[in-house]
Amino acid sequence: MTKIEIVNGPIGFFSNDNSRQQDGAELVFNGHVRATEYGEKITALEYEQYEGMAKTELTKLSEDTVKKFFIHDLFCKHRIGRVDVGETSLHVVIWSKHRKEGLDAMTWFISELKKRVPIWKWAILNDGTRIPSECSHE
Amino acid sequence: MIKVTIKCFSQVKYAFGKDELNLELETGTSTLELENIIREKAKGKLDTVSLRIALNQKYIPIQTELKDGDEVAFIPPVQGG
Repeated sequence: MTKIEIVNGPIGFFSNDNSRQQDGAELVFNGHVRATEYGEKITALEYEQYEGMAKTELTKLSEDTVKKFFIHDLFCKHRIGRVDVGETSLHVVIWSKHRKEGLDAMTWFISELKKRVPIWKWAILNDGTRIPSECSHE
Repeated sequence: MIKVTIKCFSQVKYAFGKDELNLELETGTSTLELENIIREKAKGKLDTVSLRIALNQKYIPIQTELKDGDEVAFIPPVQGG
């Protein structure tokens, strides 16, 4: 099963689940906003999405990940709008039978997210200037 | 003639200062031809930016003939996470 949310506002984390008797691994990834972008200090990032397509691509990617790695469930929340330095912009939880497929799935999911989900970052510099981020790691 | 809407994001939005552009094009214009038009209109601001094309909210791998009412986005490298 997959669960996808794109939220404009602080992320409420998915709660851990002690009722899962077939899952030996529960992996949690939280992506945070760093204080610098390409060497310049920033106060925040502003995430922009292609509304509709971002949710569709993220849903497709989650389903692809579940099938490819034989994990049980993948839940993901991605923030849009202003996210201050230190705050969580991406929250992913994966449940799997063993840790290996869960870890591999997490790495692949986040790499693919950074290739195909139409979401972008604008850097808010200390002087208030707003510029498109040039940062696009795979 | 056909009318298309171009959704602008990230560097494309920065180049034009707008969320979307509405253009009237010759019937038979392809997505590749539209990309050339957009790059020309950006006056060099998109020269170093690689763009993928989404047509009606789906990535398309090859050039396609545009139809009246199409929504096109030239997608700069994405940066989620």
